[in-house]
Amino acid sequence: MSDVEKSAYRRDARRGIDDECLQSGLQKIQNRFGKGAMHYWAETADDGLRDRVKKSRMETLENLDVVLSMLADNIEAAGGHVYYARTAEDAVDYCRRVAVKNEVKSVVKGKSMTSAEIGLDAVLEAEGMEVTETDLGEFIIQLGEDRPSHIIAPCIHLDRQRIGRLFQEKLDIPYSEEPPELTQAARRALRKILLEADMGITGCNFAVAETGKISLVSNEGNIRMSTTMPRIHLALMGIERVAATMSDHQGMLQLLTRGAALQKLSTYVSFVGGPRQPGDPDGPEEFHLVMIDNGRSRILADEEFREVLACIRCGACLNICPVYGKIGGHAYNSPYPGPIGAVVSPLLFGINRYADLCKGESLCGACLDVCPVRIDLPRMLLALRRKLAYGDPAWQTTRHKWLEAMGFRLWRTLIASGPAYRLALRCAGLLQKPFISKSGMIKKMAGPASAWTRDRDLPPLASEPFSRRWKKKYSQAAKATSSEVDNG
Amino acid sequence: MDEKGAFLATIREALGYPGEEVRTAGECRRLFDPGDDGDIFDRITYRTHVEKQSLLKLMMENAVPLNLGVHPVRSFAAAARTIGDIVSAARPEFGDIRQIIQHDDDDIARLQLWKKFAGQAVTVHTSYQADMAVREKAIASYVGITAPRWAVADSATIVEITGPGRPRSTSLLPSVHIALLRIEHLLADLGEAYALLRKNPPQESVVFISGPSKTADIEAHMVHGAHGPREMHLVVIDERMTADRNYQGSGLFPAE
Repeated sequence: MSDVEKSAYRRDARRGIDDECLQSGLQKIQNRFGKGAMHYWAETADDGLRDRVKKSRMETLENLDVVLSMLADNIEAAGGHVYYARTAEDAVDYCRRVAVKNEVKSVVKGKSMTSAEIGLDAVLEAEGMEVTETDLGEFIIQLGEDRPSHIIAPCIHLDRQRIGRLFQEKLDIPYSEEPPELTQAARRALRKILLEADMGITGCNFAVAETGKISLVSNEGNIRMSTTMPRIHLALMGIERVAATMSDHQGMLQLLTRGAALQKLSTYVSFVGGPRQPGDPDGPEEFHLVMIDNGRSRILADEEFREVLACIRCGACLNICPVYGKIGGHAYNSPYPGPIGAVVSPLLFGINRYADLCKGESLCGACLDVCPVRIDLPRMLLALRRKLAYGDPAWQTTRHKWLEAMGFRLWRTLIASGPAYRLALRCAGLLQKPFISKSGMIKKMAGPASAWTRDRDLPPLASEPFSRRWKKKYSQAAKATSSEVDNG
Repeated sequence: MDEKGAFLATIREALGYPGEEVRTAGECRRLFDPGDDGDIFDRITYRTHVEKQSLLKLMMENAVPLNLGVHPVRSFAAAARTIGDIVSAARPEFGDIRQIIQHDDDDIARLQLWKKFAGQAVTVHTSYQADMAVREKAIASYVGITAPRWAVADSATIVEITGPGRPRSTSLLPSVHIALLRIEHLLADLGEAYALLRKNPPQESVVFISGPSKTADIEAHMVHGAHGPREMHLVVIDERMTADRNYQGSGLFPAE
């Protein structure tokens, strides 16, 4: 993980909003997949599946020690290796050792956010190995020395013209902006690399403890290639990405492909694990599974946040989130963007360091509605804000701003005392006049309050406060009633 | 404590259990409850042929949006003709030489495809277990023919299990993938496939394939043929198909 400066979120969000290409990409994906998923959940009669899967996810997490132990035993029984990485550094170092020991020259990767989380590529490249992303979107990102901006569609911020120019320059082909031609060019370039690679590195959608297999989902076939053709397959797995049984797996798989792209099933779902068996015609000679903690056990230990580990990484929340839909993925400065990233990035990499992420989300609740396993992200966003505001030694957060805390205390006192509040309102009503802009909104406040209006507009106070309007109406009604009584 | 022990101890402590006390699957029996698949097996076992024909019809509908061609045929001879036509129509993508590769499978062998291309320069390879050049032959082939274990009508999926004579690469490297299935091995939904996989968990790798390889990474524009086959066909042999019970919309399957 690269270091993130404090102001990165504000700066990159602004860049995202100004990027027309990103905006049209975001709109496309949100209109199609975000709205589509909402529509699908609304139309589906049997809603029991989501609750069942959520329940089994939570039960698996509550027994994660047993589930992981069984998975490891089964993988080792099949001749595979399991490595237990406490930190990102542990995981990277193990991958490096396996690659060096086997004299690996070329590594092909299936899309894996975990590999970005642990910062694997640079270390392998420093050993002189050639590392190639094989998912088309990730390949484009790698060619452009760019960063992915979506969990499922990594290069949604690029249009076909930019990709066309990139391919023209890097793959040395005539310019084209037709997706079929560009795809064909990448297919040819990558096929050669895939067939000659020594090692394939993938993530793990879900492992299955009882069968000792990991399952990988893809539409392109690059993951099948990366796990079939090279002589070594190494899979990176966050400790939470596991199902106890095949029955649990079935539900998770169905929700994953629905949530991600409204598919009944992805083109390929592979179950692999262990080196090729005697008599097996192909598959890797060596198989390694790297179980990565890197802060996850701390999330597991906190009951307030445990639920976030139930996530199946479908990306549906990105496709519906109004904030992600405007600022795009880069502003999150994490392999995990969007609402899920706004919760999981601070928990994994530091709440203070990623403080802006939870504060930037709108708490509208759309991510909860669309989530196939109904993870309550808004609740956890609030919990993170609370940790930032009040401080929590367990998460190394300290009281955020004493001035802000004072302000709110003053506000509490004021609002609880009727006359003082009404007086303050009347004063503020007069004082606000010079600040109201042509659009009828307050765009700039004075003093410490100016920080608040740096990114937001504030509606002005009504010329007649609600309390007075209420009183007027109420007293008129009271008069009317009493006159009725008189006439009666 | 070894690495595994220490790693799992941290997780146990996170869950509120003493780190040093190893817990077993017996302590969370409900989580590993195998459930009862009896009803599912009954459904599969007692499914009539007519019901299977309806499933095939459903599979054909579900295959359309996936760009998967489903071809019901009445006999092995007809299957061989259909496959021969597909092979003849396709052209090699990575080179000029026309080679195809097929799984070492009794049903595929019965097709005698090597006879089909008498007039054409098509070489037919078979992925025999003893052949050390299978990988090379799969790379060189532009059509791969496999015999999946089952197919699933609801999601238009085939289920392949790796084994001797059945490499994974046959359905992956060639530009065109043709799968050969008997209608008897057609299942209704993914739940049935999972139940069968639970009953006899394969040691080898398993793959679900639903149509040709595809990508939508460039402007969410769908393109077929990303890294795997760009064309896929499923040839289903229904030896009890009759003139009034065929798949063109007459008899059993009234036109819609």
